[in-house]
Amino acid sequence: MAEPIVQIRELSKIYAQGEIQVIALDRISLDIAAGEFLALMGPSGSGKSTLLHIIAGVDRPTSGECRVQGLNVTRLNESALADWRNHNVGFIFQTFNLIPVLTAAENVELPLLLTRLGRAQRRRQVATALELVGLADRAKHLPRQLSGGQEQRVAIARALVTDPALIVADEPTGNLDAQSAHEVLGVLQSLRQDAGKTIILVTHDPKAAAFGTRQIHLEKGELLP
Amino acid sequence: MTIPTFIFKNALRNQRRALLSVSSVAASLFLLVTLQVALRELTLPVESSGAELRICARNKVSLTNPLPARQRPIIEKIPGVEGVSPFTWFGGQYQNEGGMTFAQFAMDPKETRRVFTDIKLDEAALAEFVSQKNAAIIGKVSADKYKFKPGDRFKLDSTVYPGSLDFIVAGIFSGTADDRMMFFHQDYLDESIGTPGYVGMWWLKVKSAADMAPVIQAINAAFQNTSAEVRAESERNFQLGFISMLGNIKALIASISTVVVFTLVLVTASTMSMAVRERFRELAILKALGFRRRELFAFILAESFGLAAAGACLGIGAAYILYTYGNISKMTAGIFVSFEVTPRIMGLAALVAALLGIISAVAPSVSVARMSVVNGLKTLD
Repeated sequence: MAEPIVQIRELSKIYAQGEIQVIALDRISLDIAAGEFLALMGPSGSGKSTLLHIIAGVDRPTSGECRVQGLNVTRLNESALADWRNHNVGFIFQTFNLIPVLTAAENVELPLLLTRLGRAQRRRQVATALELVGLADRAKHLPRQLSGGQEQRVAIARALVTDPALIVADEPTGNLDAQSAHEVLGVLQSLRQDAGKTIILVTHDPKAAAFGTRQIHLEKGELLP
Repeated sequence: MTIPTFIFKNALRNQRRALLSVSSVAASLFLLVTLQVALRELTLPVESSGAELRICARNKVSLTNPLPARQRPIIEKIPGVEGVSPFTWFGGQYQNEGGMTFAQFAMDPKETRRVFTDIKLDEAALAEFVSQKNAAIIGKVSADKYKFKPGDRFKLDSTVYPGSLDFIVAGIFSGTADDRMMFFHQDYLDESIGTPGYVGMWWLKVKSAADMAPVIQAINAAFQNTSAEVRAESERNFQLGFISMLGNIKALIASISTVVVFTLVLVTASTMSMAVRERFRELAILKALGFRRRELFAFILAESFGLAAAGACLGIGAAYILYTYGNISKMTAGIFVSFEVTPRIMGLAALVAALLGIISAVAPSVSVARMSVVNGLKTLD
């Protein structure tokens, strides 16, 4: 196994709902290698999205540690974590979550507004990202002028425009037809193969999981052997 | 794309709501400016040149009680007095106008240059005014309004005295604090009503500022314990006395202004809360992409501030243009001669708008700051 980019040790997440405690993750330990395409599977409520959120730095564990590229992200404060996410993580969501008033290119450019890059450099990176997902000709289209599959590809371009080491995708094909889903997964696969990105994919769909280089299953907050 | 472009596009996302918000801010600030200018105009003492050396002497009992004409020689003999003129309210109505048309006062035309030093009137017109008993001089505002010119004849029906008087326009004057007034001969009034010997007030001019206090004191003392005791005071104090009668109006305008501002805060805060609530998921996405709390707060603040600023420019600008270049006398049927939108009032309205922008951004910003990315995504997914 290549050098792990993500190292998770004894990670637990417990939600307190009044007096009831719900264990979302129960002392999980996991290594994810750099350049791996990991499919994280499991039924609803198994804790797979929670695990993904903690790895991506948008949620915090109750205990345990999560190191990404050697950095314990659970110890970072809110501001440092935001900065870290901007530079190191690309997000892809089930519902695309593009800003409706911005064009495809502007949506892709959003994470770059937080960097010190000049306008010309930003434009070049946006063009490259859109080209990688095959949407260079749709740069000036608004989200409502794109199909679901195209919207998700714009979201993928937005995720990779800052050139992050890690791309996390939470049910990215959940809202797509079979053809579009296949295209999107193909783009993710080529990102791993051609650009060496590490991809973590949360999915229910075994067909989608088949695109991964490794599949792991979660159930009731525990990793299945 | 730049961050300002992003904010601008977000602000105009719901164009109808943005337009309505800007319009409500503009309308409210227009109203606020109008009220503040009206308040200022109502409470600002008349500052005319020569007012600092002028004294108004009225009946101590009430302004409506007349004074005997025989007091004049006594006042004239008081050291420091330069000129004395009667000043009697006629209360005439022009043609069939229902309300007051313009204020007319009977006075002594020969004292025009000595007492009413701010009146600008050419010598020929003044000579005409002095020589003809039924002559009158009219302020430029009223003359323009009723299209009077020298030589015109007109009649006024008095609401104070029985009957009516015919006048001939001797001249049109300007330069006073209120160029709506009309002056005519006290003698003419005395003769016409058939009861000479009484005047409304005395207006007099003293020789120097040092004479003000002693002359006022001397006049008050001169008629003490007579059937017509006098209350003399500087013209400025006399005007302030008038203003004090407007105390309730002042409070009323102040309270309406407060309600306007308060309502405006509620409307704008509600609009901003709705706008942010609709975009909660998007803001969560921005957080996930690496935007920090302070950047999101800056977005919301800039949007809120932008809407308030746009409304302020429209509202304050419209008020300024209307009241500066419009005919305020015509618009208010002669109630206001001037309606000056001062820099201070514009500054006050702009400050209200700025505070509005900030206050409206606070509540949505707090909820966005508290929102976790995960909850933000769940809420609207």
